[in-house]
Amino acid sequence: MMLAFAEIKRARGRFLSIIGALALITFLVLTLSALSDGLFYGSTGAYRSSNADGYAYSTDAEGSLIRSRVPVADAQKYGQIPGVTKASGLGVLLTSGTGPNGELDLAVFGVEPGGAGIPTTLTQGRLPNPGEDSAAAVDKTVVDKGATIGSTIKVGDRSVTVVGVTQDSNYQLQPTIWTTIPTWRAMQASVRPETRGLPPNYSAIALEFSNGTTAASIPPVTGTSVLSTDEAALAIPGVKEQRSTLNSIIYTTLLVAALVVALFFALIVLEKRELFAALKALGTSTRRLANTVMTQALVASIIGVIIGVIAARLLGLALPAQVPTLFRTESLIQISIFTIVASVIGALFSLRRIARIDPATALGGALQ
Amino acid sequence: MTTNTVAPADVQQTGKPILEVVDVTKTYGEGHTAVTAIAAASLSVAEGQFVSLLGPSGSGKTTLISMIGGLLTPTSGTIRLGDQVVSDMSKKELTNLRAERVGFVFQSSNLVPFLTARENLLYVASLPKKHSRKAAAKRADELLGELGLSDRANNVPEKLSGGERQRVAIGRALMNDPDLILVDEPTAALDTALGRQVVQLLAREVKQRGKTGIMVTHDLRMVEYTDQVFEILDGHLTKSDGTTLLDGH
Repeated sequence: MMLAFAEIKRARGRFLSIIGALALITFLVLTLSALSDGLFYGSTGAYRSSNADGYAYSTDAEGSLIRSRVPVADAQKYGQIPGVTKASGLGVLLTSGTGPNGELDLAVFGVEPGGAGIPTTLTQGRLPNPGEDSAAAVDKTVVDKGATIGSTIKVGDRSVTVVGVTQDSNYQLQPTIWTTIPTWRAMQASVRPETRGLPPNYSAIALEFSNGTTAASIPPVTGTSVLSTDEAALAIPGVKEQRSTLNSIIYTTLLVAALVVALFFALIVLEKRELFAALKALGTSTRRLANTVMTQALVASIIGVIIGVIAARLLGLALPAQVPTLFRTESLIQISIFTIVASVIGALFSLRRIARIDPATALGGALQ
Repeated sequence: MTTNTVAPADVQQTGKPILEVVDVTKTYGEGHTAVTAIAAASLSVAEGQFVSLLGPSGSGKTTLISMIGGLLTPTSGTIRLGDQVVSDMSKKELTNLRAERVGFVFQSSNLVPFLTARENLLYVASLPKKHSRKAAAKRADELLGELGLSDRANNVPEKLSGGERQRVAIGRALMNDPDLILVDEPTAALDTALGRQVVQLLAREVKQRGKTGIMVTHDLRMVEYTDQVFEILDGHLTKSDGTTLLDGH
């Protein structure tokens, strides 16, 4: 311990370089992870906050709510399948509307109050009641853009009054408003004139299962297919790809952290070969020298990670709201631990080198 | 500079032999390619004696002193330090032996560069299994005082002169009250005057404290401070009578 801390204290410059490198790596990984989480959570909130266990789409929609279109009658058919406790129509419309502070991108969700597919993350007010076609609950991001309970939001020629606020319920990074099926249809007809005159349909059907029933065990109604809510979230176009791309960058960066630490300590040990040989000659065990190096790696990585976390959080505060980042404590703890573990693994590589140093080389010096 | 601080004749016959080297051989390699670094070397050094080991580069003096100090294991023969047989010990036992019973002074002091003079002493005090922090702090301060380093105690080696560094190294060697002090070319990095001072100091400490000291050197001028002189040439150790000392040096 004495050697480890004295060196960090008195040879500060050299340790600052490794601490700095680890801080930058942590910062990078955290920012990437916040972006990955932000994209994922912002895209899939409508599913993750939903009370539904699964969704039925038209088969050609490949799990996309926007492409999917199912006949109204299918909801009843699903309702009769054993294991399905609720089957409710769901309407989705990506569009823009007008809030108290001007234009908003919106994802309008038409749901059956009391049915499946409604958000469970209400933080204020309530959801629209059955038949209450002029009301809507909105996601908190709409509130962040100026709406409050009682404000009016207008889509096409239809206006709704905000009666409740939900949290983390967005869809494809668009703020959601949750209204009734008739209001959704009216808004769709207003902003998508081409849908007027088509037979009434839903975008998809939200399903609730009894215990023991899974999406895979439901025999789908002709022309539709069923996904569990988790599968549905990953089926949103781009979500899976974004996540795997960002995750592989994160894992590669952690590997780099291990390599950087491995190289750093390899150099430190190489440079101190003569000193370590002398210390061994004086009766220092290899274990004690190894502990010194591991302690230094641990201390340097903990300090680096703390600085990286602080920097990433500061960046998070400074970023404009349009950048979809989400700093989750869980991800933060996980990444901090991963970075520290990667550093320790990197430092482990220098132990063999320490073990191989022969104390006998301390005598004789250059003459030997 | 006066050179009368040590009178070898007075102390030569004190006590029983602390260090006994009997028929020690060290060979490297096997069969035809075997190289004998030390051939059947024997010597014994008593408590309070400071001896020098003279020999040119490659003569085997480093190999011999390494075996005596528990850094190398002899191929055959016995090395005894007090009641312990060094030549039979495992690596781990040797590490403990070096920490507890052997003090080393290296060619280039080899102090820990990021520890102060005092911390360098305290570091070796922490090596033996049993150690007391309080006693170590007291002893370090005493030693630094004796070596005239009290006001330099909190400096790192970089801020010390070459002579001061070697004095700290001597303090470090004495710190754990070892039985045996091995000194490897202590004057290699010093000028003559400083070298003399350092060797005189070593001789004084060895005597006063009743240690056994062995100094490897190729500097004939330093021999006068030691009680006995051994010469080593091509692995063969002989006790010198003081007349044949390395002709030509």
